[in-house]
Amino acid sequence: MVVKGFAREKVKNGKLLYVKVDHDGTVINHIEILGDFFIYPEEGLGKIEKGLVNVPVKRDEMIKRIDRIVSSGRMELAGIDSGSIADTILKAVFG
Amino acid sequence: MHDAFTNMALDEAAEEAIRTGDSLPTIRFYRWKPSAVSIGCFQGLKDEVDIERCSGVGADYVRRRTGGGAVYHDEMGEVTYSIIAQEDLFPKGIVESYRTICNYVITGLANLGIKAEFAPINDVVVGGRKISGSAQTRRESMLLQHGTVLYDLDIKTMFSLLKISKEKISDKAIESVEERVTKVRNYSDATLDGLYNSLIKGFTEGKDWSFGPWTKQEMERAEVLSESYRSREWNFSR
Repeated sequence: MVVKGFAREKVKNGKLLYVKVDHDGTVINHIEILGDFFIYPEEGLGKIEKGLVNVPVKRDEMIKRIDRIVSSGRMELAGIDSGSIADTILKAVFG
Repeated sequence: MHDAFTNMALDEAAEEAIRTGDSLPTIRFYRWKPSAVSIGCFQGLKDEVDIERCSGVGADYVRRRTGGGAVYHDEMGEVTYSIIAQEDLFPKGIVESYRTICNYVITGLANLGIKAEFAPINDVVVGGRKISGSAQTRRESMLLQHGTVLYDLDIKTMFSLLKISKEKISDKAIESVEERVTKVRNYSDATLDGLYNSLIKGFTEGKDWSFGPWTKQEMERAEVLSESYRSREWNFSR
């Protein structure tokens, strides 16, 4: 069963981060990451969202996946980081 | 003054022309007519903007190519700037490049006797209160940073167009915003033109520069690009 989750976090010393996630309690089926942060290049956000599909909703695994995408895409994040994205996803899924 | 879509399109058209060597690095100051809301490229339009209210008061809304937050651009309440140039003219680090360009704003405000300072990542503050916000993108070796300097602030209109829950439109919330945000008029009797002239000095100090019109190439390209910025597909993409 697919469940829709939503969470909003103000990242400490950073920006606002919103996550809209479809999940089954164990893996991410679909995710939208929104907010007033910066990612260079901007196309990188779509790659992070796509890369998180089918990833287990576990902090370490999500961080590892995001870091790998950021590194391989030579992206820079400002106002958010892989940890804050993972934490917000966890909040959206588990409350 | 241009509408929101043309303003965004002119930034992009200039960027393209500078990249190909058809135009020189450009510093631009502008306003928005009609007043408008711009949102960051990673924000949800419906999450941030009361679209019906915008239509009701004749305000445009547009998604920027840059990140950052939703901004209400009051036709008479702010000066917007863009700086468009080769990326290697600025520090490589994101925060340092914001610092460099925000220092132009700070120098411009100092010309009015306003003591402002940089507040990472992308703000300029006076006494801890935000007076200018900026957003930057880098693409194909080009850097574009645009930002606003608040001259006056119509908080009620801003709250009516930006999607903020009703309880936040209480007097308490408005006081809270006034505690976080400030404007040139709180510190100076300068007119909007006076602010504009001070910013020109701040941005051009020590630079070899001249005033120039948009080229035919930039204007024609901007006309095409403005249709994309006007499109539902772009503005509602998130």
